[in-house]
Amino acid sequence: MKIFLSLLFFTQVIFSELVLEITKGSEDPYSIALIEFSGSKKITNEINSIINTDLMRTGEFKIFRESQLLSTPTNEEDIKFEDFKLLGIDFIIIGSLTNEDKFNVSASYQVFNVQKETKIRTSKVFGIPNKLRQLAHYISDGIYEEITGLKGVASTKLLYVTENMNDDKTIFNLVVADSDGSNEQILLKSSEPIISPSWSPDSKKVAYVSFETGMAKVFIQTIATGKRKMVLENSSQISSPSWSPNGKFLSLTLYQDGNAEIYILDLKNQNLTRLTNHYAIDTESSWSPNGSKIMFTSGRSGSPQLYEINLRKFSSKPKRITFEGNYNAKGSYLSSGEGIVFVHRVENNFQIALKYKNESFIRPLTNSKLDESPSISPNGNVIIYAITENGMSMLSGVTLSGAKFRLPARTGEVREPSWSGFLR
Amino acid sequence: MINLKNVLNKNFLGAFVFLILLSSCSSMNVTEESVYDGGIQTVEASVKGNTSVNYEAKAILANATVYFEFDSFKLSSKSIQTLRSAVTAMKENSTIKITISGHADERGTREYNLALGQRRADAVRDYLAVNGIGKSRVSVKSYGEERLIAEGSDELSHSKNRRAEIN
Repeated sequence: MKIFLSLLFFTQVIFSELVLEITKGSEDPYSIALIEFSGSKKITNEINSIINTDLMRTGEFKIFRESQLLSTPTNEEDIKFEDFKLLGIDFIIIGSLTNEDKFNVSASYQVFNVQKETKIRTSKVFGIPNKLRQLAHYISDGIYEEITGLKGVASTKLLYVTENMNDDKTIFNLVVADSDGSNEQILLKSSEPIISPSWSPDSKKVAYVSFETGMAKVFIQTIATGKRKMVLENSSQISSPSWSPNGKFLSLTLYQDGNAEIYILDLKNQNLTRLTNHYAIDTESSWSPNGSKIMFTSGRSGSPQLYEINLRKFSSKPKRITFEGNYNAKGSYLSSGEGIVFVHRVENNFQIALKYKNESFIRPLTNSKLDESPSISPNGNVIIYAITENGMSMLSGVTLSGAKFRLPARTGEVREPSWSGFLR
Repeated sequence: MINLKNVLNKNFLGAFVFLILLSSCSSMNVTEESVYDGGIQTVEASVKGNTSVNYEAKAILANATVYFEFDSFKLSSKSIQTLRSAVTAMKENSTIKITISGHADERGTREYNLALGQRRADAVRDYLAVNGIGKSRVSVKSYGEERLIAEGSDELSHSKNRRAEIN
């Protein structure tokens, strides 16, 4: 029994650990000394390891732990900057955790610039004991933003679909988890497929396609209350929801004209505006960061390609924006507006690719056989997507600098990831 | 000319000193925040019982299925043969109603495949309509790549999955 238990514990550890497969991090990473936070071992162990993996996952850091350092100061007075200069370290992070009382935990941390020998940040985060992971993510994001100048995404969430077999029945779940894949919580459980989930811009609601009525229909669900309603009730299928950046509109693919066409739905008054009118397939719409353009996949050239419509120009014609290869689909805009990320076919493989506006060529970001459903982090720096390996689908991430990581393995299929907005 | 150079140098030096001043009395960031992690409510979809299964149609049409090429919804000559016998069966049994469901293989994006599955189902419906089977007896839907019947990633499995089922 004891052996069995410890075996169980062991596998648990393996599966809950993030697989970091940094094939190529940033070419010029920041070297940081991450000194273990002091405090009660019960909580510091967990916090230290989460901060470490959060920062590693960004691909932007070369992390020095205690065994690699010449000295390990735990407070400002003990720092000998020379010890860190010798190792080529750019920044030092020290911190501590305090159990304020039974219901409150707080973390204090400081970031030092080694070259300038100065403290550049001092921060305090208040949390509660059963949300320690999120407390750690807040710390990681503070460190990341202090050093890179970019907001961190460790404290953001992922939405995705899982498929599991249970007593010969297939169960589809729509799940919300932390950005590292832990802390999974089910939003919707169904015996019919769920696809295309996406967050509202304020991250309080989700829209998705459910087949529960016997055909594809779009639903909007409030995360905190579970309240949900079907969007538009008509007799044909409805799919591919995408929120406008201001949250007031939803672009959709409707099939009421006998063919997939893109419409914009005004969520306030339910008015529909037709955007495309072509006998070929038009679907997978997504909004530009300022809401002035919609990109979509269309088969009008004979193969799926990405097109763009300018919403500010009256009756503007869709403009084709991808020309390389015979399959470019499911595009989304980088939050900077400087480029797009999409699914690109190379021979018989489907991969995630990036194209900057000012470049004429496509940059491949992934290289396996069947990569799909890319979703961009709110800071625009990481792309989460689904990969298929040995017939099973799971989630993987790649940063724009090329660092790759994989979310924890689990039983069943995991797919259709969608990244929330900033929550911190 | 020389004057201009001096002026430039002076300005440059000025900016440099200013930068050093700025960074030495530099603003240290001080932050304080509280962790927020909102609640989540789980709901279960009430899936409609599959009342649309028409067992009579199922028996008569013997699960007629037609197959397609990648990214195509063109009916092959073999498909047309299958559909001819479906037309005959439907004319002999003038009361049965059918559902055509279109499907795609796992390659390509899910939403594009959903639209492609719809085109495949529509192609079958249109053939039946031209051959005298009224649209009132036929309903169409797509499952895209959400209901694969062959799980493999080889071309044989893909070709089995690119289909429209009549029942």
